[in-house]
Amino acid sequence: MRALLVGFGFLGKELIKALRNKMDLLRSVDNGFRVVGVADSKGYIYSGDGLNIEKLSSITRLSEYGGYKLGGIAAELIDGDLCDVMIEVTPTNIRDGEPGLTHIRLALSKGIHVVTPNKGPLVLAFRELMSLAERNGCDLLYEGAVAGAIPIFSLVRECLQGDKIVRLSGILNGTTNYILSRMFFEEISFEIALKEAQEKGIAERDPSYDVDGIDTACKIVILANALMGRDVKINDVERVGIRGITQEAIILAKKSNYAIKLIGTIDKRLEVSPKLVPINHPLCVHGTLNAIHLETDLAKEITLVGYGAGKETVSAILNDLITVLKKRSRRKALGK
Amino acid sequence: MTLALADKPGQLLRALEPIAKNGGNIISIIHERDKPVEGYVPVSLVVDFPSHQSFRNTINELKSLGIMIMRSEEIVEKVRLTFILIGGVDLRKIIESRVKGAEIIGLEASTPRLDEVSVKLEVEAPAGNLDEVVDHLKRLAKEQNATLISPIYP
Repeated sequence: MRALLVGFGFLGKELIKALRNKMDLLRSVDNGFRVVGVADSKGYIYSGDGLNIEKLSSITRLSEYGGYKLGGIAAELIDGDLCDVMIEVTPTNIRDGEPGLTHIRLALSKGIHVVTPNKGPLVLAFRELMSLAERNGCDLLYEGAVAGAIPIFSLVRECLQGDKIVRLSGILNGTTNYILSRMFFEEISFEIALKEAQEKGIAERDPSYDVDGIDTACKIVILANALMGRDVKINDVERVGIRGITQEAIILAKKSNYAIKLIGTIDKRLEVSPKLVPINHPLCVHGTLNAIHLETDLAKEITLVGYGAGKETVSAILNDLITVLKKRSRRKALGK
Repeated sequence: MTLALADKPGQLLRALEPIAKNGGNIISIIHERDKPVEGYVPVSLVVDFPSHQSFRNTINELKSLGIMIMRSEEIVEKVRLTFILIGGVDLRKIIESRVKGAEIIGLEASTPRLDEVSVKLEVEAPAGNLDEVVDHLKRLAKEQNATLISPIYP
């Protein structure tokens, strides 16, 4: 299978390293697996025989590889019948989903499988993209889009096929959880905890996307649409962020054995807001950890805890890729 | 509740129909057949009703069937919830507000600045009305431009 990687930022580079380390595993599933192209925002590299993964994992800019086509765009590689699976890791843009939305639409319409952790296209066009994938007989897998390395979609898809999810709640943003954890343990103000998170590279210079609950709301939309059969948009989510949380409120909560956490909830309503979580509740995790608590009709309660962003997301992307490879190998074996 | 049923066949079944119709779950029933008083038998029931309204409806329907109610008492299951309000909060307005039988039973405030009050509220509310109580407090918080932090699972 020929793979195309679109996006060569932090996640793209980490993925290349993981592909290099796991190449034997990938080839054991599909002996023809190779990365034929990598595109960034300014151009791309391509080789039909497969790029040198060792060399790719040692460079910081794509132009250092050699044969870099400056001015080339990813769409040329997607449109030219040059790949079988596209891994789309361009930055999330929830305003119009671009450039990821165009890449994914084009790939699916050509019958190319898509693996992506990119939230933007999924928040804005989940139903459209899923039906495009179905019509063209290809897969769209997005495990890394919500809660990074936590295998929430795979778990529900594979292991809870007969269950109905009654309620889902979770800590889905590592940045806000880090800030609230620092406020809880050190009893410092929001402003100081935010500054510390920014200095450590955990929070962006403009933290609005995280601290105002927008990122969590995006994830709630994807989870509701993918796991609970809803058809909702970001404006359907009631949203309150954590800017207003005071040091005093954290201390008052703590005295009653609660921590304040930014919780996304899907039940009758869709909500993102700071909540009082008992300190012995399985959702009460600290630092940059994420946690998802499912309540279902049969299994009752299940909690998953793990890292929601950063290089751990590579685990989810790799699993999706192996899922695609296995499915295709199975179809090939059946002569389909 | 204790009902006085005529000491003749079919009376107990007749009395149970409104209870079942209104979703009542019978926890215990004591039919004191050996203690008839002037042709009536006392029957004591403990029933779990889904709401106050279903309890009232049952009482009214029993009365309309001509069944004598000797005694009825409603015990409402209450849940204790903790909330935190942050902002310029008018405490009197919050304490005076009553919603669906909820009562504020505890309050602790921390006020580093007058415009930045953090208040912890302990609220006791009927188990069946928790969503309404949370919605009411949310509205109050919004009116006062305050942030409400509610329990994760009210």
